[in-house]
Amino acid sequence: MSEIISQAALRALATEWISAGKNVAGPARVKPDLVLYRPLRSGNDLLLEGYQRPSNSIKEFLFPKSEKLYGYKIRGNSIELTENDTPLAAQVVIAARPCDAAALPVLDHVFNWDFHDEFYNRRRAATTVVTLACIGYDENCFCTSVGLDPGSDRGSDAILFELGNRQYEVRCTTEKGRALFGGKTQKSDLTGRSATGPEKRFDSQVVREFVGTHFEDPFWKEHALTCIGCGTCAFSCPACHCFDIVDAGPAAGNERVKTWDSCQFSMFTAHASGHNPRVVQAARQRQRILHKFVIYPEKFGEILCTGCGNCTRNCPVGLGVLSVVSEINHG
Amino acid sequence: MDNVYKPDLMEVTNVRQQTPDVKSMSLRFLDPGRARNFSFQVGQFGIFSAFGYGESTFNICSSSNWKDHIEICFRKVGRVTEALWRTEEKDVVGFRGPYGNGYPMEAWKGRDLIFLGGGIAMPPIRCAVWYALENRADYGDITVVYGARTVADLVFLNELDEWAKSERVRIIRCVDPSGETPGWKGEIGFVPHVFERAQVAAKDPVVLVIGPPIMIKNTLPILDKMGVKPASVYTSIENRMKCGIGKCGRCNVGPLYLCKEGPVLTMEQLQRLPADY
Repeated sequence: MSEIISQAALRALATEWISAGKNVAGPARVKPDLVLYRPLRSGNDLLLEGYQRPSNSIKEFLFPKSEKLYGYKIRGNSIELTENDTPLAAQVVIAARPCDAAALPVLDHVFNWDFHDEFYNRRRAATTVVTLACIGYDENCFCTSVGLDPGSDRGSDAILFELGNRQYEVRCTTEKGRALFGGKTQKSDLTGRSATGPEKRFDSQVVREFVGTHFEDPFWKEHALTCIGCGTCAFSCPACHCFDIVDAGPAAGNERVKTWDSCQFSMFTAHASGHNPRVVQAARQRQRILHKFVIYPEKFGEILCTGCGNCTRNCPVGLGVLSVVSEINHG
Repeated sequence: MDNVYKPDLMEVTNVRQQTPDVKSMSLRFLDPGRARNFSFQVGQFGIFSAFGYGESTFNICSSSNWKDHIEICFRKVGRVTEALWRTEEKDVVGFRGPYGNGYPMEAWKGRDLIFLGGGIAMPPIRCAVWYALENRADYGDITVVYGARTVADLVFLNELDEWAKSERVRIIRCVDPSGETPGWKGEIGFVPHVFERAQVAAKDPVVLVIGPPIMIKNTLPILDKMGVKPASVYTSIENRMKCGIGKCGRCNVGPLYLCKEGPVLTMEQLQRLPADY
């Protein structure tokens, strides 16, 4: 037996969550050629067909582009600190792709080894992820090369599988998922399926060995020649999480914020002395691949990549993990 | 919510201008409870903030035996350090820390200590020298070779004189060629060469070498000739840092997040890392 829900009922349910005060985010068409995960005002805004995946990732709902860490007021010699005590509403991310949801358990490691980043943790705790399994894939998808697949429920609280006829099978994997869908589904004999591809594009172990042993290699320089260092790869990546801490607002006192940053920017590692360990783009390209396929796996046991393909899909010059890594794998 | 990014507030209790562009400062926690409970190890660092400008990473250059305050020393090079430069006594700055691993002062007990520092690298050496002098019986002979580009760039000069009065301590000051003044009584030359010329007779010493990459690079062959093992040579790799707690990704070199697993490394560890620092 399975549990199913119609698309109309799913939209109505999303609207119900919104009416109940939850923040609901999901894919929406924001321009004719642009689909993004966005806060939704109604379940009717939810886009469920006709695209491979949104151009951004769901990480911004757990790790916002810019987040206040605390405020401060300067009065003469004294400083008054104010906590970021904005209450956090329960949040649902609906129709996330499996490659988005799977990044969350991977990110949990870095935000919690030794020091706990409660800004991330409290959003994570307040968020329920409802994933929509993929029925297709495009030339940039490579989840199967990094140990996932189009029907993976990793990081999801519930996952929806298309049944055709605008119906979905609902599989709840956590209590949070069951709390959302309890009593909202119907019994059925139908079971949904996900895409069987994409074919494996590379062997991550081969990549790990190459990158781990070819720190100095002309390969990086050749690849970086076209890179313009825009950071789009990192910003649209579900797993990239580097950030900066900066003061925002007038000097007389406002707030300190955590903002997205990227290892692709030249200032990222620049020392005060002027020395820069990664002074050329080749070194920065290398770092991104090294961090994803060697450093993070050594440190936390998981590849820092879910194969979503966003870095390649969004790259203005056709780079990204897949193009770089496929070349490594096929020499 | 437990906020790992929220700083402690510290009052500036003393400011000393060391050179035309370097100042040192003494800081005291405003919260008496935090002041009582605070402890750190020499070699650890803090993230210091000028409110309205941002945060910067400095070594805590005071000895961990000094309980009532900590000290920092910085060169004026950017937005935050320029704001700190304008800070006066009684002003309040932010502090997060202590972070990083620090020097293994316990493991160094019983060994001769050689400190080699260039320029603004004196502060992270100073804390260890004071600590060793305050626990004098625990350590063997102490040698400090400290150099800067010019006489005007040497920091903590009066303290070097004070250290020189202690037993079994040899202090060698030097400036780069053409950096001397008419009355200069120290050595002239680069730190590695001056150190080599000094023929320091140390048996199985611990060496702490901090300075510009070129200084460290030229020092290593000399230590090798002396028979010092890479595992006994320490440095502090001060990559750019923001969070200080292993999250923001900035200080990452090979498998290490230097803010947590560094900044203090032995040459043996360093030789295994990719040249990304």
